Amino acid sequence: MTLSETTPLKLPPDSVASNGFDIVATYRRFLREDPDMTMPVAAIESLVVLLSQTEPTTASELMDILAKAVAELKKGVKNSISLSAGCDMFQRFVLRNIQEYGDWEACRRHLVKNGGLFLDRAKASRYRIAELGLPFIQDDDTILIHSHSRAVTELLLLAARHHIRFRVFVTESRPTAEGLSSAKTLRDNGIPVRVIVDGAVGWAIQKVDKVFVGAEGVAESGGIINRVGTYQIAVLAKDSNKPLYVVAESHKFVRLFPLSPFDLPNESPAANTFTTEQEDDEIQSSPLLDFTSDNLITALITDIGVLTSSGVSEELIKMWYD
Amino acid sequence: MLAAGAHISKEKDLNAHIEAFVAQIKRRQIQGSYNVALATSQLLLRVLSAARWTHIDQLVTQIKVLGKRLQSAQPRELACGNIIRRVLALIREESEDTNDSESGDGAINSPLITSMFSLLSTNDEYGPNPHSQSLYDGTGRSIKKDLKPYIIEGIQELIDELRSIDESIASMGVEMIHENETILTPTPNSRTVLKFLLRTAQKRKFTVLVVEVFPNDVEKTHEFALKLAEAGIETTVITDAMVYSIMGRVGKVILGTHAVLANGGLLASAGAAMICQCANVHRTPVVVCTGLYKLSPMYPFDIESLIEVGDTGKVLEFEDGSLVDKVNVVNPLYDYVPPESVDLCITNMGGYSPNFMYRLVIDHYRQEDTTL
Repeated sequence: MTLSETTPLKLPPDSVASNGFDIVATYRRFLREDPDMTMPVAAIESLVVLLSQTEPTTASELMDILAKAVAELKKGVKNSISLSAGCDMFQRFVLRNIQEYGDWEACRRHLVKNGGLFLDRAKASRYRIAELGLPFIQDDDTILIHSHSRAVTELLLLAARHHIRFRVFVTESRPTAEGLSSAKTLRDNGIPVRVIVDGAVGWAIQKVDKVFVGAEGVAESGGIINRVGTYQIAVLAKDSNKPLYVVAESHKFVRLFPLSPFDLPNESPAANTFTTEQEDDEIQSSPLLDFTSDNLITALITDIGVLTSSGVSEELIKMWYD
Repeated sequence: MLAAGAHISKEKDLNAHIEAFVAQIKRRQIQGSYNVALATSQLLLRVLSAARWTHIDQLVTQIKVLGKRLQSAQPRELACGNIIRRVLALIREESEDTNDSESGDGAINSPLITSMFSLLSTNDEYGPNPHSQSLYDGTGRSIKKDLKPYIIEGIQELIDELRSIDESIASMGVEMIHENETILTPTPNSRTVLKFLLRTAQKRKFTVLVVEVFPNDVEKTHEFALKLAEAGIETTVITDAMVYSIMGRVGKVILGTHAVLANGGLLASAGAAMICQCANVHRTPVVVCTGLYKLSPMYPFDIESLIEVGDTGKVLEFEDGSLVDKVNVVNPLYDYVPPESVDLCITNMGGYSPNFMYRLVIDHYRQEDTTL
């Protein structure tokens, strides 16, 4: 695919503040205005907007501006794992270009000029994942999905367009109830769906042929950070010998090596405290993410191919240490 | 006029040859992944010597069309498709090399470093590439002329690789088998395993238990055991039912395979999956000996479609007519062995863990060729 024509980014109108530039607000606006945009891409786009509005005079100033903005972004957004993947990749890309070609000004121009292109590519990569994942879905399959993942939905919709007939169990996925929106999208496109509560996964698992989940971030071990409930589904799938596939874009690979959900940054601390008092909003403070270790994952379907979990660390090492 | 006539007859000749090859693999006259791989690469050598093309894409399409035809002739003989994909990758590589050296700025033209970065990088990063246009016009002719001998040389290397595969795998035997170890092998039809054991026997003293693998390989088992015994290896033939009870004494299970899939799973002769499971229960290491030509970029999406069903007469003879009427008899020839059951794959490139196989797939095949 050659996308040689440049597509400059459409700026959200009021992000062009005269004095200070609010990266967190820009990031939030990107996410709000385009529901198809993933968090890492929104982070990259926000950094591109930042670059278009600053005029650094040296390469190290450029890096410094980026580093500060990234720190601000990570601090300002509560769930920063996924966006940090985008930020890391962006910083690394700029740094390598500077080292390789020395021409940081050209690099900045290239990034600003092609801001919209990255977004298109990120969306295209989701389609590419769907194409790669298509053979995994067969006629008469019963599929279990968890919560709402754009990549998984895209894959299932593509399969339906190819006239593959399959059924889908969708978990409600408390507390966000995002499963309901997945169910609606799938049903609107003619895919038969049954919504079950998260607790019913164990009941349903015997009828399930394969499990597809998305990922908020893919850790270096090949394990995934995803909506809470993924881990227990993965354990159940492993126990009943059902394959579990992770469908995720490669820009979600993140340099973290968590061993348990408690190693994830800024997860709701209240969930880890105990009290004898009756609390009204207890459910609200329950954790949103959990960590599923790599040994529970059959394969990762990404835009760079179908990988086993060891493939993730290899990609990350290629990016950081080559 | 004369030259044109000669060309046409040559093309006819080639077509007849392809036709004959298709018929042979359909009738299982060429059988076994090694024979199919060798025959396919020799056929491709002929096709390429006769092929004419003005642009590399034409050649790729020609080979792909041929590949599709061969593969549909015998969809379960994965080695055939593997060789075609290897050759396609070779052609693409050669043409890219030529393009790079012609345009003289391969470093900038090639996508920047890694696939994760492909989200951010573009090829025209620092201004349009002045040379990129020239590849398709005037210089196209010279590229074509240069390319052919390289591709043919590449295929010849591939054939040499195929011929020397068993040798390079066998040379690793000394590291794998200890003195006085007991080896169990459930695939007596594997040449690779036979050579592996015979070669290692020159340096080590060990015992081999050969599983009979009823009903398809019984005669082969006996031949296999005889060859080992003649080489001075202590050999015992055991029935399939004995595997579990004897597994506790076995040091390693060494098996050959029909194909290796991209996830590290195997298609091995029927019975292998059960034996690997027994080995897993006893924590006995399972080692697979395989040439790289058996490595397929396919995933086991639909296991049942990959498994060939053979002659049921071997299970229940036709003389048992009264039974034949009343029961269903199935004789699958292969088993799917999941990657978790296998500990090590020894290839001609060295030993790899099964979950590394996807990497070898990426190294040896192009993603755009996965579906022919």
